[in-house]
Amino acid sequence: MNYLLHLLVYFDIYVIVALSLNLIVGYCGMLTLAHAGYYAIGGYTYALLALNLGWGFVPAVAVAMLVCAVLSLAVALPSWRLRGDFFVLGTLAVQALIFSAIYNWSSPDTPLGSWKNLTNGPFGITGIPRPSIFGWTPASPLSFTLFATVVAGSCGFVLWRLQRSPWGRLLLAIRDDELAARGLGKNTRFIKIQAVAIASSIVAVAGALYASHVRYLDPSSASLDEGILVLSMVIVGGLGNFKGPIVGAFVLIALPELLRFLSLPDTQAANLRLLIYGLLLVLMMHFRPNGIAGAYRVQ
Amino acid sequence: MQILINGLISGSAIALLAVAFQAVYLPTRVFFMGLAGIYAATPFIAYSCQHHGLPWPLSIAAAAVAAIGLSWLFEWANHAPLARKKAGEGVHLVSSLGLYIATVQIVAMIWGNDPKTLRIGLDYVSRFDGLVITGAQWITFTVGAVALSGFAFFLRRSNLGLRLRAMADNPVQFALFGYNVNAHRYLAFGLCGAFAAAASLVTAYDIGFDPHGGLHAVLLAVVAVIVGGQGSFLGPVLGGMILGILRTQVVWHFSARWQEAATFGLLAVFLMLRPQGILGRETRLEASK
Repeated sequence: MNYLLHLLVYFDIYVIVALSLNLIVGYCGMLTLAHAGYYAIGGYTYALLALNLGWGFVPAVAVAMLVCAVLSLAVALPSWRLRGDFFVLGTLAVQALIFSAIYNWSSPDTPLGSWKNLTNGPFGITGIPRPSIFGWTPASPLSFTLFATVVAGSCGFVLWRLQRSPWGRLLLAIRDDELAARGLGKNTRFIKIQAVAIASSIVAVAGALYASHVRYLDPSSASLDEGILVLSMVIVGGLGNFKGPIVGAFVLIALPELLRFLSLPDTQAANLRLLIYGLLLVLMMHFRPNGIAGAYRVQ
Repeated sequence: MQILINGLISGSAIALLAVAFQAVYLPTRVFFMGLAGIYAATPFIAYSCQHHGLPWPLSIAAAAVAAIGLSWLFEWANHAPLARKKAGEGVHLVSSLGLYIATVQIVAMIWGNDPKTLRIGLDYVSRFDGLVITGAQWITFTVGAVALSGFAFFLRRSNLGLRLRAMADNPVQFALFGYNVNAHRYLAFGLCGAFAAAASLVTAYDIGFDPHGGLHAVLLAVVAVIVGGQGSFLGPVLGGMILGILRTQVVWHFSARWQEAATFGLLAVFLMLRPQGILGRETRLEASK
């Protein structure tokens, strides 16, 4: 039972990640590999505030969202000048810089969270407290799952309202023809900055949820593999609508769990899982560029 | 001086891979991430051949043939069908990324995840005037110099090289003149495989290899391409040298752990301030497509 609850929490977390990434990739048409970096920044910000300053979940997540929104300019500003492959490369640079900063911002003799040892480098942060929401702490697996589902539901609701709003339609217009949208007098650059900032601040919530669930965080959550995994989710599930990323998150979380029943040795199982992700990406591009349930294909 | 020499030599390994990337990117506009898979798989072929008692020239030849074959396989199975469907660059990039992931996992499942080396025993060292150069560095330097100058000669002097440059300039016009674009695509992918094998084998001989090193090496190569100039075949050589020198200087003055930050910081600076690279002409990026 606890195993299923654990999976459900993972599903909630990745639904938030995939839905927010869809706002950038599916609605703005900008393929980014840096999203996992913002996910990790959200997690680290929450962990440091909760662990060192004893902040509750709501204020810590609010600060994490703000930090990610400001740092999201690193992805949004290059999109003014770069298109296609070169934009992807720019996001890859951002991802590498975030990973490098998290991995290296440590010093062995200083306490965790001080200016010299902010992230504890490759050792990561342990003992992250459970979330405390105005004095209530979801300590049992069931209550934490409910809490995660409520958080994912509210993030999903916000994104759903945004995508259905005139603002969301404007994003689609910019994605399909930026010049025409500009011709109508829309400030397309500012709208893109807004979209990337919103997506990055929402993924910070997912990072905080992950940190408080696993209670341990290391730089691997900002790694390129993680970035590729979340990008696979939205591409396999489908871009440009609300259900696609949810389907993608479900498929890519369910798949490795199904592989467990094949009783492969542990090392082979991890390789096989990634092999399937890779092949899925290739097959999707050939036979179903829209993804399983998407409305927009990668250009 | 020692640091500069080290930088130039490690830069020539980066330059080899950057030329491999550019050999595909310029004529076909495919952002070939599958290259990372080829880079990762090649030394394992040489390693297996060596362990089955083949002499080293045959092992290297077998690895190079395997790399070229793998490159052709990727073109035949993935990029050529997508190009026929007029797929966009994002589709090529994502499917190529998928191929890379799949190749690396197959390599890891066959040969295991742990690092290996092609060299047996210690390397010999030669000294001049206080400069220390290892045997592996000599090999890297020689292979880099021969392969890169050979490629430059091929591009400038041979008819085939001229056609490759023509295709890079304007593929539609090239096809209209009656040249077989598909055959020239295979030429481009073949060259890419050969350069990837060279880059991969010299690095594997020098510092060893594992299945997961490919993507990092290709990312360095792509940074070299951007820095050197993404519109030219040989700009990446300059980019590779600059990157090699920068990375060794960072190790010397700060610490090896800031190498990545410096590399990608340089990329960010170039993308923002001079996206056409050092040797590139000043055009909008999308205008060159």
